[in-house]
Amino acid sequence: MEKLYIHPLPVRLWHWTNAFGFLLLIATGMQIRYLDLIHLIPFRTAVVLHNWIGFVLIANFFVWFGFYLFSDKIKVYHPELSPKKYFQASFRQIQFYGYGIFRGDPNPHHPSAYKKFNALQSMLYQIIMLLLVPIMFFTGLLLWDVGRFTSIVEALGGVRVVDTVHVLLFIVFCGFIIVHVYLASLGHTASAHFKAMITGYEDVEDEPKH
Amino acid sequence: MKSSCTAGHMTLSSRPMSLILTGMLALALSLIGLTAHAAEGEMSKESKACLSCHDKEGVAKTLESGEVLSLNISTQAYTESMHKKADCEDCHSNLDSKTHGKVKTSIKDKREFTLGMRESCRDCHKKKFTEYEDSVHAAQVKAGSRKAPICSDCHNPHTVRSTKIVGPITETPCAKCHQDIFKAYSKDVHGQERIAKGISAPLCAGCHQAHAVKAASMGDGVKDACLACHKEAINQHKDWLPNTARHFDAISCPVCHAPDAARRVNLRLYDSTAKRQVAEKTGVPKFETRTDAADTKAMGLDERALWSLLKEFNQDGGDGKMLLRGRLEVRSGVEAHQLSEKSKAIKDCNTCHKQGAAAFQSVTLTIAGPDGRPLRHGVQNEVLNSLTSMESVRGFYAIGSTRIKLLDYLLILVFFGALSVPLAHMTVKRLFKGVREKLEAERLAAAQNAETQASTGNRQKDDASK
Repeated sequence: MEKLYIHPLPVRLWHWTNAFGFLLLIATGMQIRYLDLIHLIPFRTAVVLHNWIGFVLIANFFVWFGFYLFSDKIKVYHPELSPKKYFQASFRQIQFYGYGIFRGDPNPHHPSAYKKFNALQSMLYQIIMLLLVPIMFFTGLLLWDVGRFTSIVEALGGVRVVDTVHVLLFIVFCGFIIVHVYLASLGHTASAHFKAMITGYEDVEDEPKH
Repeated sequence: MKSSCTAGHMTLSSRPMSLILTGMLALALSLIGLTAHAAEGEMSKESKACLSCHDKEGVAKTLESGEVLSLNISTQAYTESMHKKADCEDCHSNLDSKTHGKVKTSIKDKREFTLGMRESCRDCHKKKFTEYEDSVHAAQVKAGSRKAPICSDCHNPHTVRSTKIVGPITETPCAKCHQDIFKAYSKDVHGQERIAKGISAPLCAGCHQAHAVKAASMGDGVKDACLACHKEAINQHKDWLPNTARHFDAISCPVCHAPDAARRVNLRLYDSTAKRQVAEKTGVPKFETRTDAADTKAMGLDERALWSLLKEFNQDGGDGKMLLRGRLEVRSGVEAHQLSEKSKAIKDCNTCHKQGAAAFQSVTLTIAGPDGRPLRHGVQNEVLNSLTSMESVRGFYAIGSTRIKLLDYLLILVFFGALSVPLAHMTVKRLFKGVREKLEAERLAAAQNAETQASTGNRQKDDASK
């Protein structure tokens, strides 16, 4: 096993702030939406916390965005422009998670500092970070003070529409976090990827010699 | 108007000395005349003549309808009234002194008489009269109502006092028709303060305006009246109430400040282009016909009926601009006048943001009727939680209590679906443990075999080289 430094400090800081922030947003969001079922904290406290955490995560988003925008590490997100190569790599990855992993086959993706994501991660994380998360934050911002943003809210179809989009994304992220945590446990040990996101160093299997 | 002041209008002498003397005399006579006039209530001879007959108990006229119209005018009350400077004939100019009281005139009923007289009010009170003409009261009069008030129903022209004089609240003319509301008002925080402190607390006209009265449940007029006195209200609410502007926009003040009131959601048909509530056109009644047709079982409009109704109103030329703007309000005018002290106002978010909250159990659809009063039709409360009514009630949403049920089911589905992924994956992984170990052993054996073959090959090469 070789140790590779593939998670720079700003990314790790962003990641864990985002992770805990999202968990808190989910918890306070559940309290706000399901007041009849959950009684952990008062509604108003939940709303105020939800708003503040939301603002922290919006600022945190720009840590991630700024880091990748102004460093060469943005290459980790460079899309594979050849559809053939992209689908082949995705298929290999799906085949690994759906079949190869049960047989003990090696992971077809070998991470490096500039290519840390497999084909599925690369595409999914871009959709999440450049589309879903911004929509989530934007709708959250509108709902934070509907009166201030009345014209935008009305242009988007009304407060019910904006809230429905916000809740739909909340549902998506609930599902994503569960699956994300499980997939993160599929390293060479269950805790390998978690440790890597703390230390920055990922244990990478030696390339098979040919 | 003729008055004794005319004594001051003397012919002037051409000589300077006599001019000065004449002027002084005229001034003195004028002052004497004015003093005398004031002492007599500034009344002209003609008016005095009128009152000589009319200031008698029991003077009355029986009208065609059988009603008895009192013709008694108290001189004292009149001279203390705001009209004391007006002569009788200023308003009763249609009366001819030669025939008045001698020739019998016929009047159908009291209403016809007062309706006829109101034009004389307009002569002096043009501004107030114009305001009144735009009111819900005037609209009802135009629509033929015999109960809707006209000038003299609220202001007795012979006794009308200054509005600056604070009388007992029971003298408020509005109380004559709105007894229940007035009873509630007299017990609420404004009524009690008015009784205790006088003018500082609002009476009816303070919030509803005296003449340009609109139906209180239409528009935001009354809320503006609240904020006109409670100027710090918005900032004070901002200190503790998240989304203050939205709350102020979608909730009427009594919803929280009349804590015992029953509440409802009022879905108001709104023209987003004209930026006003849709009103039924006079003579073209559509609302009741359409709502009755859409609600055949009379159980309230469901989401489908509401949607098609909205579509119909849009087809009238709304061009997709007709929408429903929801507002949480109290159910009746009586409840709107049960305002409590600030400390008793509702501050508990649970009251409204909990599923099944009482405030969202009653829903009504409203448009402005031709006379400015609301026309309503019941709506099933399920529309507030239905995905299919998202388009219809897109402008109204209360977190928690009006959440879309389908999204709750989707959350459960996604949550358990996402949980089942790792569970299923781990289960298959466990089932494949034997296969994995066997393959691992084979790989290991193959690797060892390859290593052995490689070392054997190397040894043979070494032997050959020797």
